[in-house]
Amino acid sequence: MKLIKAIVRPNKVDDVRDALGRVSLPGMTVTEVRGHGKQKGHTAIYRGKEYDVSLLPKMQIEVVVPDNLVDDAVAAIITAARTGEIGDGRVFVIPVEQSYRIRTGERSEV
Amino acid sequence: MATSLSAVESAREELSGAAARGEGGRAALRRFSDCVDDFLQGLFAGAPRAAGASVIIALGGYGRRQLCLHSDVDVLLLFDGQIGEAEEKRVRSILHPLWDARFSVGHQIRQMADFAELEIDNPEFLLALLDARAVAGDATLLDRIAVRVRSPAAHARILDALKQLIDERHAKFNDTFYQLEPDIKDAPGALRDVWSVRTIAAITDPALIDRGAADRARLDEAEEFLLRLRSILHREHKRNNNVLNHESQEQTARLMGYGGAPRQQVERLMGDYFRHARAVSRSLDSVRQTAPVPVAANLVRSRDGIRFVDMDHAHTHPESWLSLFQAALDTTTAVTDGTLAWIQQRIERHPPEAFFPRPADRAALLAFLRPRAGLYARLSEMHDCGLLGRMFPEFQAIFCRVVRDFYHKYTVDEHTLLTIRNLERLATRAVRGRERFGALLDDLAYPELLVLSLLFHDVGKWRDEDHVEESVRMALEMMRRLQLPEESIALVEFLIRHHTHMSRIAFRRDTEDPEIVRQLADLVGIEERLKMLCLLTLVDVEAVNPDTLTPWREELLWRLYVDTYNHLTLEYADERIEHEESGLRAVMAGRPGDVTEAEIARFAEGLPRRYLQLFPSEEIYRHVRLSRDMHPDDVHADLKRKDSQWELTVATLDKPFLFSNICGALSSFGMDIARGHAMTNPNGLVLDVFQFTDQERFLELNETGRDQFLTVLGAVISGRTDVTERLRAREQSVLYRRRAGVTPTPPVIHADNQSSRRYTILDLVAENALGLLHRVSRAISRHGCDVGLVLISTEGQKAIDVFHITKAGAKLTDAAIADLTADIHRTLEA
Repeated sequence: MKLIKAIVRPNKVDDVRDALGRVSLPGMTVTEVRGHGKQKGHTAIYRGKEYDVSLLPKMQIEVVVPDNLVDDAVAAIITAARTGEIGDGRVFVIPVEQSYRIRTGERSEV
Repeated sequence: MATSLSAVESAREELSGAAARGEGGRAALRRFSDCVDDFLQGLFAGAPRAAGASVIIALGGYGRRQLCLHSDVDVLLLFDGQIGEAEEKRVRSILHPLWDARFSVGHQIRQMADFAELEIDNPEFLLALLDARAVAGDATLLDRIAVRVRSPAAHARILDALKQLIDERHAKFNDTFYQLEPDIKDAPGALRDVWSVRTIAAITDPALIDRGAADRARLDEAEEFLLRLRSILHREHKRNNNVLNHESQEQTARLMGYGGAPRQQVERLMGDYFRHARAVSRSLDSVRQTAPVPVAANLVRSRDGIRFVDMDHAHTHPESWLSLFQAALDTTTAVTDGTLAWIQQRIERHPPEAFFPRPADRAALLAFLRPRAGLYARLSEMHDCGLLGRMFPEFQAIFCRVVRDFYHKYTVDEHTLLTIRNLERLATRAVRGRERFGALLDDLAYPELLVLSLLFHDVGKWRDEDHVEESVRMALEMMRRLQLPEESIALVEFLIRHHTHMSRIAFRRDTEDPEIVRQLADLVGIEERLKMLCLLTLVDVEAVNPDTLTPWREELLWRLYVDTYNHLTLEYADERIEHEESGLRAVMAGRPGDVTEAEIARFAEGLPRRYLQLFPSEEIYRHVRLSRDMHPDDVHADLKRKDSQWELTVATLDKPFLFSNICGALSSFGMDIARGHAMTNPNGLVLDVFQFTDQERFLELNETGRDQFLTVLGAVISGRTDVTERLRAREQSVLYRRRAGVTPTPPVIHADNQSSRRYTILDLVAENALGLLHRVSRAISRHGCDVGLVLISTEGQKAIDVFHITKAGAKLTDAAIADLTADIHRTLEA
């Protein structure tokens, strides 16, 4: 069981959601985040004055998947979120030790 | 006549007797006043006849029928026609017997023509007229004057003046009614205060006397007591003396019937006096605090809000109803619940067009819609009482309309009003961190059209199909009904049609893709529309539900705005009107008979593409005409009024220092350039359009001002007049000297050699000052640079100017940019 955390362009969230749906992963958590990787942002000029736009708006998608679906999920995310330009984002795969349903208290596999 | 005189003497004896018994109160004074009335009526009847009608009018205490033994008899002798010899004879035959009867007379002799322009600046006279009554003669003359005294404007003046008179009078008594020797006419809590309470109530709200700390019964009781005292004092002093001094207190107490030893009598008298004075003072304080204040024609502001004074007049003039809400906005208060209920009961009787029958009414509506504190609250009141829906039946269609989806949290009508509240909060800087959006709002030339667009952006949701098209259709109907100018109609239609566009791009498209930004820039065309669409998007998203507009989304929207703004202002020079341009074809298709296609092509081809979006077709035809028969040194200029500003259009052939000279000419007349566009076509034809405010009202006040200005402009452009000299004189004027101790914000100059293919772009943000554009553009010309395009705007006190320049037909080198910007800095700091 793994937690897949993907940082993607805001306009790619719908594509990623659809792609994960196609590999039978309908559930996800989406968070509005800001940050930068290699893209590092840039300095914009507005009315002659510079202002810092180094932290770029991104979307963070989190989804917990069974081990056997990890490769499919990662591939689906990368394919859906890619534009080929700097700033496409990152995917992290993190081990998950245990998972519980709050409603019933039962331990679950995903 | 002798009988009358003796009757007056008898009345005087009778009043004196009543005073001696402590009974010289209202009834006794009224009897005496009536006797004087009889006397005057006799005199009037017996006086030689005058040419026209005339009347004797009682004023002041005599007007109130409270004439004391030695009071002045204040009368106004009023004649309908001119006062000639016959009238003077008549006056003498009335006044002389009055003096013979030992009256002290305060008289005014006037003719009706004197009141043609009623002396609204003489509130004391207006105040006296409030108690006026016709004693003898033609009473209709008084009615004709009284109508004017009853105007809200006159009442406002009277109220202000009365309050001032009260304050001045009280100050003479150290603002306390605890006087050991009180003047029972003028002291705080004495007779003048009783009359003041009545006057304030009479001209504002008669019910005031029965509300709060005011008490009609106690006021009447106090007046009776004070009048009885006054009658005694007049009798004892044998003159018009109203001071209850120590010497007269014992005798007065005895005559008023107080029992006990003389000292106890006086203590009881003074105890009663202070009790009454306190009641009067409290009543006066109460009515002063709660008195409705006249705020506009037929409108007053009372403690619970704005209301009509004359409901019958309001009922027959529905076009005045908006002024209620305008007054409420102006005075940051509400419309009273009673008035809202009154409107609700009558709303169905008036069709929508009854509210805006004249151009002035329609202009008032637009003025009302300018975003400011309280606009949401007033619109909500109008909506709740049905007025908004009656004025705009299209809006009524979404009354409590529910659209079921996952994100809208309010009915469509409330969502709409909330968008306007959000805009209002931007205007008032009520939300921290959104100042950058607030600055965009400040920059708009017609923010009311944004509010109008918001009001109608979702009206199409009354039905389930595509709401945008339906909203556009309904808005067009409304705007044609209001006879808005075509430019305004086009702008509002654009905003409504595209009201979801920018949020779709900002939140669902890759805004880092320059193509996406270019497409948005193409859609909006000009910065004004971009700003309006950005603000509309922000407030619309925020009004969906409280969680929709996250700081993250706000940032996305802002970045999209900045990128598009930069695209519009930095790259627009590269996009030129071409021969087959669809916008140009449309202009040609609609051309009037006197303008040929060839002329339009010769003029417009090669101008920046935004030109077609900046100006409606009619303006373009005007520019084409202006550019006809152009020879070197010709200056074809046109000056016209545009709303509260002026617009100067200049067509001429390019030459060094041209732009600088035009700006200098404007500044040398004290004109403040607010916005403008300067552009050149490939044939060297320059078209400059400036909007400016004429702060000194030179053009308005001088009949030949326009001609003078255009003559100077021509002379400056042709080099016959040195504009720098003209400006220097003005800059040395005390009116334009920089305030001592105020440090100006340093200018910011940013040079950009990347954004445009053809031009170096200088972006200048500086504190607005007289001749700023002239000085900067002069420095640019001094460096041998050509000004291809200029975009001029202001944001509050900041001037924001974008110059597109070249040197010898090419972009500037880095070294040349460094030299030029350093020079501009020096110029601005000098």
